[in-house]
Amino acid sequence: MPAEALFDISEPGESQTKQVSKGRAVGIDLGTTNSLVAVVQAGQPICLRDQHCSLLPSVVHYAADGSVVVGQAARDLAAQAPQDTIASVKRFMGRGPGDAEATRRLTPYEFAPGGDGDAVVRFSVRGGQRAVTPVEVSAEILRVLKARAEAALGGALDGAVITVPAYFDDGQRQATRDAGRLAGLEVMRLLNEPTAAALAYGLDKQAEGTFAVFDLGGGTFDISILKLEGGVFEVKSTGGDSALGGDDFDRALAAHLLRQMGLPEDAAGDRYLTRRVLDAARDAKEELTKLSATEVAIARRPGDIWRGVLTREELEAVVKPVLDRCEPPVRRALRDAGLEPKQLSGVILVGGATRMPIVRRLVASIFGREPLADIDPDEVVALGAAVQADLLAGNARKDVVLMDVVPLSLGLEMMGGVTEKLIHRNTTVPCGAVQTFTTYADNQTGFDLHVLQGERELVADCRSLARFKLTGIPPMPAGMARLQVTFLVDADGLLSVSAREETTGKESSIRVKPSYGLTDDEVERMIRDSFAHAAQDVSERLLLVERVEADRILQATRAALAASADLLVEGEGAAITTAMGALEASQAGRDHLAIRAAIQSLDAASKDFATRRMNQALQQGLRGRDIGAVESKVGK
Amino acid sequence: MICWSCEKDAGVSMLCPGCGAVQPPDRSADSFHVFGLPRKFDLDLADLERRYKEMTKILHPDRFARADPRARRASLERSVQLNLAWRTLSQPVARAEYMLSLAGVEVGEPAGGRQAGGADNRATQPMDTALLVEVMELREALAEARARGDSAKVATLFARVQTNHDREMAEVAAAFAAGQPDIAAIAARLVAARYYRRFLEEAEPRGESEEGLAK
Repeated sequence: MPAEALFDISEPGESQTKQVSKGRAVGIDLGTTNSLVAVVQAGQPICLRDQHCSLLPSVVHYAADGSVVVGQAARDLAAQAPQDTIASVKRFMGRGPGDAEATRRLTPYEFAPGGDGDAVVRFSVRGGQRAVTPVEVSAEILRVLKARAEAALGGALDGAVITVPAYFDDGQRQATRDAGRLAGLEVMRLLNEPTAAALAYGLDKQAEGTFAVFDLGGGTFDISILKLEGGVFEVKSTGGDSALGGDDFDRALAAHLLRQMGLPEDAAGDRYLTRRVLDAARDAKEELTKLSATEVAIARRPGDIWRGVLTREELEAVVKPVLDRCEPPVRRALRDAGLEPKQLSGVILVGGATRMPIVRRLVASIFGREPLADIDPDEVVALGAAVQADLLAGNARKDVVLMDVVPLSLGLEMMGGVTEKLIHRNTTVPCGAVQTFTTYADNQTGFDLHVLQGERELVADCRSLARFKLTGIPPMPAGMARLQVTFLVDADGLLSVSAREETTGKESSIRVKPSYGLTDDEVERMIRDSFAHAAQDVSERLLLVERVEADRILQATRAALAASADLLVEGEGAAITTAMGALEASQAGRDHLAIRAAIQSLDAASKDFATRRMNQALQQGLRGRDIGAVESKVGK
Repeated sequence: MICWSCEKDAGVSMLCPGCGAVQPPDRSADSFHVFGLPRKFDLDLADLERRYKEMTKILHPDRFARADPRARRASLERSVQLNLAWRTLSQPVARAEYMLSLAGVEVGEPAGGRQAGGADNRATQPMDTALLVEVMELREALAEARARGDSAKVATLFARVQTNHDREMAEVAAAFAAGQPDIAAIAARLVAARYYRRFLEEAEPRGESEEGLAK
C-alpha cells in the first residue's frame, strides 16, 4: 500500500481540532434522557449541579409565547403540550425523515412536512408556527448546561468535550458537533461514551486490565472493550445499537398497557394519551427496579382513569425481546477484540437502564460474572468527558492517553452496488487508507465517488455519508486512468476523503458532510438567528445566576431557622417565612430583577436575626467548642 | 531532518531534541523503521506493544490540541503512520504480507474481481489446483453438515481447517527464519492460509462473517 500517499492530503483535520486557550474546559454528557456537565477542579472531576441536582432532563418545551423551557420544567409540561415538548431528541440526531426510527409509531410529535431533498427531521411546534431540527433542540439543552457551567466557574467557557454513543455514525456525530456550535460552544472533541466512562472509572479506581463497558442508556446501547495499562486507555473493539435503550422498554411497556386498557397499540394517534402512557410506563419501569409490583393509573380520557397492577415479571416479559438485541453486539465486540469473557478483569455498567435487575442478570449471564456496581452509572460519562476536556486544555497529567477506534467500517460504492471497505471497524484513530481505482468505460472523464459507512456488503444496506465527483479527466481507454482515493479519520472519528487522478494530477477533496446532516448554510443561518436572540440569551443567563443565588440564600436561611429558632423575636419568624415564600415564587418566574428584589427583601427581613446568630457564634467561639461537637465526640 | 520550528537538525526523533517540537513523519520509513526495528518476521510482540504505547503517549493528537497548526498536523500524520505500522506488524498475517510486498510480491486481498468499475491493479497469485480442490471439498462438506444440522461435524471441520491454517502460518514463520527466505513458497502458503481463513469465517457459528471482520 502506498502509505506515503496518506500524507499528501490537504490540511487534514485542521478545522476540526480547534485551538483553545488554557482554562475552563468542561465535559458534557448530552444524554437521551438526562444531560450533565462536569469539570475538573483541584484534580478531581465533579458534576455541576443546579438548585436541584446534576441531571438535567433532556426535554425541551416550545411555549406558545415564544419562550423555550428546558429540563424538569419542560418535562412537567409534556403531558399538557405533547407535540410542543421534545424528549429523547437524541434518537433523531442525524436522522432523515425516511428513517424508520423517525416515523415509528407511538410518538407524540408532529413532524413538519419536508421539502424535496429535505434530509433532516423537523418537529412542528407551536401549532405549526415553527419547525425545529434535532440539532436546534439539542442546542437548547447545551445552552442551559453552558450557562450552568459559566455560572459555576464565573466566566465564559474555553471549550467543551461532548460525548456521543460509540456506535454513532458519522452523520450523528456531525449533528452533535453542529448542536455544540449552535449553542456557542467550542467543541474540542467528541468522545465516545463508554470510553469516557472507562477513563473516569480507571483513573478513580486505579484499575488496570481489560474491561468491558456495558452502556445501556435511554436511547442507545454501546459495548466497548478497553485495555487499561500504564495510563493508556486503549479501545480494543466497540459495538452497539444506536436505537436501543430504555425508551424502547418504555415503548414496549406502553403498548402492553394500551392493550390492557382495551385501546389500540398506537393509541389511535392521540398525542396526549401517547404521552401519558409513555410517562406511566417509564414511572412503572423505574418503580419495578426496586419493587416486585406497582399500581398504574392512566387517564384514558380526562376523568376516565384506568387502573391496573403491573408486576416485575410482566415488565421483564415485555422488555426481554428488546433486551435480547444487546447480546449479538457484545459477542461480536468480544470476538473482534479476540477475547473470551473470562479473560476480562471486570464489566463496568453505565446508563440508567443498567439499574434494572433483568439487565444485570443478562450482563452476568453473558460475561459469566457479576458486573462492577461501584460507580454512579448516571454521572460517570460526564466525569470522564471532564477529564478528557482537562487533558485537551493542557491542564492535566501528561501520562494519560486515550486510543479510540472507528465504530463502523468506511468505504466506497463500487460498480454493481457493492461496498469496498477502505477502513475496517475497530481501527484505532487517527487512521488513513489509500486505494487505487480505475475507469470501467472508454473515454470516461469523471468519477462519481459515493462514501459509505456500515458493515454490510450492499450499498443499499449501508449509510450514505457523501457523494462527490472528480471530473476533467482526459478521455482514455477503460482501465488507464488511475484514481487514488485517500480516507483519513481524525481523532474525533470524523472522516475526510480526497481523490487524485494520477496521470493528470487532477485533485478533489471533501470533508464528509453526511447526507443526513445539516448543510453548512443551515448551521450558519441558525447561528445568525441565535445572535438575533442574543439579548434574550443574556437575560436567560442573568435569570439563571439569580436563581442559583436565590437557592443558596433559601437554603442558608432554612438551616439558620432550624438551628437557631430560639433567637427569633416576636413576629420575626413569620416575616422571614413570608419573604422566603415571595422569593420562591419569584424564582419560579422568569424575571431576574424580581428575583433580585426578593433576595434583598429576604436579606432585610432576616438581617437582625443573622446578626444575633453571629454574636452567639462568636460568644460560643470564645467559650471554646460548642456543646454539639463535644456530644458527638463522646457519642462515638 | 531540519526542525520546522527551530530550524536546527532534528535527526529522526519524534520530538526535536533542540526545541521539543513534534516532527512530521519520514514518508519513506517502512513499518519496521517506524518502531526502530530491523525487518524480520520474528518479532517480540510484547516489546512491539510497549514501543507502540510509549510512542502513542508522545505523538497522540490529544497532546497537541492547543498547539501550533504545524505541530497538530505533524502529530496527526505521525499518529496515522504509527497506527498503520502497528496494524501491519502486530498481526502475523498482515506482517508476512507486508514483508512480501517490501520484496515486491503482492498477496493482499484483491479488491477487484467482483466489480467492473473499480478494478484493482494488485497482482493475484496463481492458484494451486490441489488447494482449490481441497477448499471446494471442505465447503461442500460444510454445506452438507449444515443442511443435516450436524453441528458436531461442523465443529470437526472447523477444527481441522484451523489446524491447517496454523500449520501454514508456522511454515511461513519458519521460512522467514531461513537465511534466504523462499519468497514464492511463502506467498503460496499465505494464499493457502487466506483460503482457510475465509472458510473459518464462513463456518463461524453465528453467521456474521458477511459483516466484514477486520483482518
